[in-house]
Amino acid sequence: MSTHTVKRRKLSPSPTNDTSATQSKSSNGASTTNSKGATEKPAHVSARKPDNSSKTNSAHRAKDERTAELAMASGFYKSGFFKLQVDELTSGLRINYDKRISKVQDTLHKVKNAMEGLPEISPKSIVDAEKELRTASGILVPWPEPRPSKDAKYTISYAKPTNINVVGSFGLRTGAKSAESRPVDLAVTMPSSIFQEKDYVNYRFFHKRAYYIACLAAGIQETVNSLGLEVKFGFQDGDSLRPIILLESRSSKEETPPSQPQIRILTAIDPNLFPITRTLPMKNNIRQGSSTDTTEAGEPTPYYNASLRSEATVSLYHKYLYSASQKCDSFRDACILGRTWLQQRGFSTSFQKGGFGGFEWSALISLLFEGGGPSGQPILLRSYSSYQIFKATMQFLAGRDLSTPLFLFASDVPVPDGGPVLYDGRRGLNLLYKMTPWSYSILRQEATTTLKMLNESREDNFDRVFIVKVDEPALRFDRLLTFPKSFNGDTLRSLHDQKSVYQVLSRALGDRVKLISLTSRSADSWPVKSKALNKKASHDLSVGLMLNGENVGRTVDHGPAAEEKEEAASFRAFWGRESRTASIQGWQYCGKSCLPDEDSIVHQILAHILQRHFKIAEDDFFLHGDEYDDILYDEGDEVISYSNSPFQSINDAFGELEQSLRNMEEVPLSIRHVAPASPLLRYAALRVQGSDGDNEAADIVLQFESSSRWPDDFAAIQMTKAAFLVKVGDSLQDAGAASSCRVGVENESSKVLNSFYLDIFHISGFTFRLRIHHDREQTLLERQLKNKSISPREREEIAYALFSYKKAFIQTPRLTQALRSLCTRLPLLSPTIRLVKHWFASHLFSAQISEELIELMTTRAFTQPYPWECPSSIMTGFLRTLHFLSRWDWQQEPFIVDLSGDLNPEVTETIKTRFTAWRNIDPAMNTIALFVASDLDTEGVTWTQYEMPSKVVAGRMTALAKAAVSLLRKEHDELDVAELFHTSLAPYDFVIHLRSKLLGDGSASASKYKNLAEANVPGRASKLALVKSFVRDVQACYNQSILLFHGDERSDVIAGLWNPQTLKPRTWNLKTAFSTAPVSSSGSLEKQDSVIINQPAILNEIARLGEGLIEKIETSQ
Amino acid sequence: MKATVEVAGYTTLPLQLPPTSICPTPATHYLYIRPHEPRIPDPDSTRSLFIVNAPIDTTEVHLRHLFSTQLSAGRVERVTFEDIPVKKSGIASATEPNLSHRPNKKRKRVTADDLQGTLDSINPPQPGTARSKNPAPTPSSMESSLKAAAKAARKGTTLLWGEGIPADRVPALGVQRYLSHERRRYPERGALLRTVNDFMTVFEQVSEARKKEEAKKAGEPDEDGFVTVTHGPKLNSVAREEEMRELVERRKKKEEGLEDFYRFQSREKRKERQQMLLRRFDEDKRKLQDIRMRRGKIRPE
Repeated sequence: MSTHTVKRRKLSPSPTNDTSATQSKSSNGASTTNSKGATEKPAHVSARKPDNSSKTNSAHRAKDERTAELAMASGFYKSGFFKLQVDELTSGLRINYDKRISKVQDTLHKVKNAMEGLPEISPKSIVDAEKELRTASGILVPWPEPRPSKDAKYTISYAKPTNINVVGSFGLRTGAKSAESRPVDLAVTMPSSIFQEKDYVNYRFFHKRAYYIACLAAGIQETVNSLGLEVKFGFQDGDSLRPIILLESRSSKEETPPSQPQIRILTAIDPNLFPITRTLPMKNNIRQGSSTDTTEAGEPTPYYNASLRSEATVSLYHKYLYSASQKCDSFRDACILGRTWLQQRGFSTSFQKGGFGGFEWSALISLLFEGGGPSGQPILLRSYSSYQIFKATMQFLAGRDLSTPLFLFASDVPVPDGGPVLYDGRRGLNLLYKMTPWSYSILRQEATTTLKMLNESREDNFDRVFIVKVDEPALRFDRLLTFPKSFNGDTLRSLHDQKSVYQVLSRALGDRVKLISLTSRSADSWPVKSKALNKKASHDLSVGLMLNGENVGRTVDHGPAAEEKEEAASFRAFWGRESRTASIQGWQYCGKSCLPDEDSIVHQILAHILQRHFKIAEDDFFLHGDEYDDILYDEGDEVISYSNSPFQSINDAFGELEQSLRNMEEVPLSIRHVAPASPLLRYAALRVQGSDGDNEAADIVLQFESSSRWPDDFAAIQMTKAAFLVKVGDSLQDAGAASSCRVGVENESSKVLNSFYLDIFHISGFTFRLRIHHDREQTLLERQLKNKSISPREREEIAYALFSYKKAFIQTPRLTQALRSLCTRLPLLSPTIRLVKHWFASHLFSAQISEELIELMTTRAFTQPYPWECPSSIMTGFLRTLHFLSRWDWQQEPFIVDLSGDLNPEVTETIKTRFTAWRNIDPAMNTIALFVASDLDTEGVTWTQYEMPSKVVAGRMTALAKAAVSLLRKEHDELDVAELFHTSLAPYDFVIHLRSKLLGDGSASASKYKNLAEANVPGRASKLALVKSFVRDVQACYNQSILLFHGDERSDVIAGLWNPQTLKPRTWNLKTAFSTAPVSSSGSLEKQDSVIINQPAILNEIARLGEGLIEKIETSQ
Repeated sequence: MKATVEVAGYTTLPLQLPPTSICPTPATHYLYIRPHEPRIPDPDSTRSLFIVNAPIDTTEVHLRHLFSTQLSAGRVERVTFEDIPVKKSGIASATEPNLSHRPNKKRKRVTADDLQGTLDSINPPQPGTARSKNPAPTPSSMESSLKAAAKAARKGTTLLWGEGIPADRVPALGVQRYLSHERRRYPERGALLRTVNDFMTVFEQVSEARKKEEAKKAGEPDEDGFVTVTHGPKLNSVAREEEMRELVERRKKKEEGLEDFYRFQSREKRKERQQMLLRRFDEDKRKLQDIRMRRGKIRPE
């Protein structure tokens, strides 16, 4: 309480002047615990202070408190909102330890007493001891591999533990609530009397320890059973050298929240039992042969040593962390933040899961209070807030490469290469000993990304740092590799095996990958009376690859020159026969040339290398990630990359056309601008074919230099446009740039919309559709809109015309320009967009969700990729887009994408204001469901206004994305990718099956209607146009009563839903704009007062309208 | 068989829609008919029928055929279609363009018919689309028609929609319709040019005429002897707006750098900023509250 008073005095004199002073002070970091206290309980303080009676005074007080809190937030946190969320998160995750202690205290006491009361067992030979234990209590000693030989000369024994303590997060109160239960750790310090001086070599310590554990288990069995718990063995941190006892609540399977938390009984030894010098990372403690006295020979055994040392440091670290938590107020909250962050990224203490968990995090923080800076100064200050600690630690992890060792309180301890080293000299332990080079590189990458998120000013990113689960492998890695062949064996062996796999893979893939990650599952616990579980099942290895987008497609690796004999030999040994000599470059590995229907380069390399080094046949490993490329290849006209020839040739053709347009002489106005405005010209069209293929017409927009001779009347403008188009067409034909041209009519029912376009059949074989952009139209429309004397209906039409003007002539060319440059900069953007388009089309969204919207939503995964980095495969790009969609709460949040890199906080603010305004005008979301803005289009309604899509459809989109993501989380890498693209027709009320002949391979129908269709109408495009105008017709006729869904030209169904509101009988009036049939609601036959929708008649009408198009109509009833 | 007769004051007339290969079971459609009572009665309204809930492919031919041949109740003089405002303007419904611009009204009166004619010739209205539920006054021997309809309904006579109309008199549906639609999208070059030229000539004439008229009006005193003074071209308002905007900009620029001149200014500014920060902080709090309401506690996934 006193701290608050101090604070109060500081602030009280003059509220207005002092606020800024406080702010500057706190941002200097000068205000320490006082302001901290103010942050935590501001509300209570003012409430609890009764001494200031006057009301105005207390109002001032309240304001001061707020100011102080704000000052805290702005000085110490990313933003006020971020701070509030952090507070909310930590308070939500803080564990009520008093409650938990009262729950388990009794159990702990009983267990402790049981352990203390165990009788000693005198030294025996290993065989005897084991047999005795088995006959007495049926317990099998959980020997670590290799189990002790029968003729071992040393003896094993049991003696009363020196002490028994609660340690770990429970003891320190640093735990955070999470899905997994937080175990209570009970450390049993083994007496030094049972060990000998040389026990640190050749597993002797671990064998004695295993026996000790078994004796404990045998001894407490009875007590524990009476408490309703079950005794099991498990591994500490997945380390098979150190089995531990787990006490689990027996009924845990039936009751979902177990009444008792898991209790883990670990062992510890006196820190001085073995000298630190014996367990330094470079010492060798596993010796060949029996001569234990030959020292300092052989390979260093860092993991073994550290594992042994960590037994000795249990109490040391516990004390150390406890003192840190006492010294720094926000230590516990910082631990909660850290634990959450690690958990969301799949890190935990066990070495299979990265070897960096809650314990390592808190130990790291404690150490950073004392050092770690460039010249040994501390990185963290005790006055830091939890967020500051978190961020500074991120900075440390990201900035300091621990592969070059960092020594604290020690200097120059020799360490092995490879893994990260953070050597704590006082306790003699490399804190990161369980981390492998690969897990460390992932940790660093995550820290770097997180730091970027925290430093980004335009977005909050709180969700992405703490809330989003990042560790789903298919979202994180570009390729996933699984070996059904297991790397069984104990921790040391599998560590060794994994290392060799890692080395081979990283050498084989070279700079094609940025990162390789190996993960295996840790072993489960097992009952004390049986052997450890089949290790084969539990050690499946899966590898995640993060590809390097630029290099992954390279087909040839150049080896060392032939002159460098040694390197050449090793190169050949590594690659085997397939490396061939090339006269100049020396040795090279030639991947087969990348024909698209063959396997990808990565797959080929892996197949070759795994076969060569690990004898894994091609059928035995599974590479996940190429399927997405395959689907795109099948669906997207065999085009994958933006640099493939169809895209290039259509862009070349556009270039030529632009040139010929600029060279026109007969047209009276000179040309200002020719802009591409089609998905085909921004590498985003799903289907694209070569010049002789069957493409849709590519939209382009032509703008003349302004002239005062244009008329001011809408209809006259359109007519003038028509005249210009005819002229342009003629002169292109005369110049030989186009084989033919024709003017087409659109929007024939409106006077204010653009009504003419020119189809240009370019000599290259592509078709372009040219529209004239006349910027005066906008002024005229806007002026008309301001005109107060027009009827609401006219106003609506004018507003729509303005909307479509902006869309067609301003935003589409802009978007095209932006995407063209983005697609060339990010090579995977184009294929990802196209695959996402396929997803939308296969779920029948083509009529409701515009292509541009899909493009924007996909681009976001690339330009704002957090919490990941920019995707380097189609798989990650695609899945992350779905992941984003599944999480996007479009009712409450605008969608903002950065297209040109100009998105700054001000723009974001403008967009958000607009969004709020829209939601205020249209809270029911009748015209705008999705609000999609970019830095180029801050209005945010260009692609989604006028129910594109409507609320219902947007909801369905989210539901489908959610379903896809949950399927992914369930199946992981066993996911059948085709499943994602398969849509169910069950939810629809009726399904119209189109005639496949019309939509299928065009030749038949094209010849059938040859007399009708113009010779130069592209078949596929016209078929799509037929279906589209049919759907548009039907939808226009029944837009009150039905909602139609259809896919692209390859899907041959149109699905429909009845508007549920129209299904009820209702009284008829003139606004009832759908076919109805009279029904009797009151029972009288003569006077009918209400009507009901006449479904059979509507279906009949649809059938007649679509005769020749429709195969059959199925209704769900 | 006594079928339904009246709905909300309308006589219902069941029609059987022709079965198709896709939809072999015949469906019944109901026409709602009542005497036409327009708000402003005209001489024809006493002999007009107002029909709603018509099938989507209704054409004049259909209605004529229905009343004269199928119901044999008299001949139809004229059918007028009206459309209900479509709320969703995103969909191009093929209705008669009946949008008129207020400023052009005068011109319309002069040559509206020519213009409409020329326009229609390039852009033939699509056959029988989206013209459902059209109130259609049908001047005919109104009462007898209505009676006949009611009778037919009561008797349960099956009236097959469009039965007996020669196929070439009504526009085709189905694929044919869409193919011809696609074809008509591209008018012939000569015809198009001709239309454009015609239109532009008429347009020139109209604007010429209007200019003259206005000039004349400007010089002519009205009955009280006043001459209406009009300001120049309409462009002015826009130009002035821009000018004003520029002026404001310029003034802003001038004042730049002078905001911190007096001490009270900087003090006020600081205060304001502080206030704003506070406000925003409160907003943030509210936002968090909101999120909590919506999604429950903030918890990692």
